[in-house]
Amino acid sequence: MAKVLIPTPLRQFTGKQDAVSVSGATVGEVLNSLTAQYPDLRKQIFTDEGKVRSFVNVYLNDEDIRYLSKDATETKDGDTLSLVPSIAGGSTVAAPPEKSALSKEEILRYSRHLIIPEVGIEGQQKLKAAKVLLVGTGGLGAPLGLYLAAAGIGKIGLVDFDTVDFTNLQRQVIHFTSDVGRRKIESASEKMKAINPFVEIVPHEVALSSENALDILKDYDIIVDGTDNFPTRYLVNDACVLLGKPNVYGSIFRFEGQATVFAYEGGPCYRCLYPEPPPPGLVPSCAEGGVLGILPGTIGLIQATETVKLILGIGQPLVGRLLLYDALGMKFRELKLRKNPECPVCGTHPTVTRLIDYHQFCGVPQAAPAVQETKVNEGEIDVVELKQKLDRGDNFVLIDVREPHEYKICSIPGSKLIPLGEFPQHVGEFDKDADIVIHCRSGMRSAKACAVLRQHGFQHVRNVVGGILAWSDKVDPSVPKY
Amino acid sequence: MIRIESEPWAEMVAHARETYPNECCGAMLGSTDGERKAVSAAIRLRNAFEGAQATRYELRPEDLLAADKAARERHMDLIGIYHSHPDCDAYFSKTDLQNSCPWYSFVVISIQKGEFHHANSWLPNFDQTEAAKEELIY
Repeated sequence: MAKVLIPTPLRQFTGKQDAVSVSGATVGEVLNSLTAQYPDLRKQIFTDEGKVRSFVNVYLNDEDIRYLSKDATETKDGDTLSLVPSIAGGSTVAAPPEKSALSKEEILRYSRHLIIPEVGIEGQQKLKAAKVLLVGTGGLGAPLGLYLAAAGIGKIGLVDFDTVDFTNLQRQVIHFTSDVGRRKIESASEKMKAINPFVEIVPHEVALSSENALDILKDYDIIVDGTDNFPTRYLVNDACVLLGKPNVYGSIFRFEGQATVFAYEGGPCYRCLYPEPPPPGLVPSCAEGGVLGILPGTIGLIQATETVKLILGIGQPLVGRLLLYDALGMKFRELKLRKNPECPVCGTHPTVTRLIDYHQFCGVPQAAPAVQETKVNEGEIDVVELKQKLDRGDNFVLIDVREPHEYKICSIPGSKLIPLGEFPQHVGEFDKDADIVIHCRSGMRSAKACAVLRQHGFQHVRNVVGGILAWSDKVDPSVPKY
Repeated sequence: MIRIESEPWAEMVAHARETYPNECCGAMLGSTDGERKAVSAAIRLRNAFEGAQATRYELRPEDLLAADKAARERHMDLIGIYHSHPDCDAYFSKTDLQNSCPWYSFVVISIQKGEFHHANSWLPNFDQTEAAKEELIY
């Protein structure tokens, strides 16, 4: 027999008893026989599906059964079971900001906002009092930075430590050709200031990390995630949940994008959608998979719209809804997102209560030192040696495992194109004793192809270190890099 | 209807003022007679929210369990939870609602610029989608 302590409000269902003795070998059995004995109690403790309600915690003596064996936790005579609700809350809406008066120049500048009834002077003052942090000044950060500055957000923080390179210019419209080689943060601030000198720009030229994230994010009202890597995405999400700040999320790939607002007013967070990151390498980044240059413009401006709506407190925020955009079909779709009560960070019983090591979590090694001497290991070949081999007319097979559209951009003379996806079907075409050299863009895919051949017993297989990018650097500068 | 006696009421307001600009939280003990509740003691509890406490609070179930024990020892009942909204109205926010429980009365105390402004009591429903206003007398 275990004793179940009945919370005051539930005693009306137990004939006013404040404790009931019930038999059962486990916590689950005790609760079931308790609610069988007092059927009106059942609705209080269990959902219609028979699960314990999300706000109910069950304690055996002084221990939460979640940390014991849950429902299967064994009970003995003399044990006491308590039902304790989990309770939290908060005003969430930050204290109303000090009213920021608008100057005559600002009134003129924002006049097209001021004459919309939903915005007006008051709304524009809210925008001026708002503090927004943009994580990243790349594809998504570019339109966000330009439009949020133009809209008159009072304070915009920028996080980036990268420099502008030529491959950025196709989409990162805040950076110009003349900015190549400059620090992105400097290039972006300059454009934003030029658009609107009334905006205060706060540069954070660091890599966002578990050590600095809370400190940087805490000074802002809204965080906008414009990153394209998983460790930072989880870091931004968790930090936003811990600080109770909305996370305006966007992501892009080739012709498709997504946007939503996470961690807002008890809505779902990124981890409710994706509790775990994908295995490393499964989801290609823009650098690996490419992206239509205009796409981040569309998605970034959806993020900017949501940011402005949250500040003004107007319209229906994109909360609990994942907006999917398909540029080729020119279609928007919406998926319902639900807060996961078992979410490790924003659920009822969070297990992540401080920031963790996100590189380890995502299985991504910390960035290698900037200057890395490419070492040629066994089973590898350097591009210079490959060139000598070709010049000597050695008898060997050179295989390119990239995609046909990449082959059209550039190729190494004499190479045979077999895309990695089709590679296993072609293994039988080669002589096991032949001298085989495989390359791709940077050496990742060709390493996989080499492994396939070795598994089939091939002896003389080598991977071209650094791929065709290294070929362009060290052998033939006329070969374009992409 | 929930009536809070002057002593616990003074304690709750003092707690909310001392904790300003952060949110405070605590338990209300007393007795119930059907729909009529009377609060005769207030217990301060720890705001366990990790992060900015100006707009959030969280009660550890362990602390609530201890408050319930204390109530039983004093032959009183745990009948409600209180918390403060600094510089914000005493409404029942979405966050409050989604982390509430239909068993108790939830008293929200609005503290504006460090001083008591007004208060409301709320009764959340099972699905945590709505809260009805309960008559509050103090």
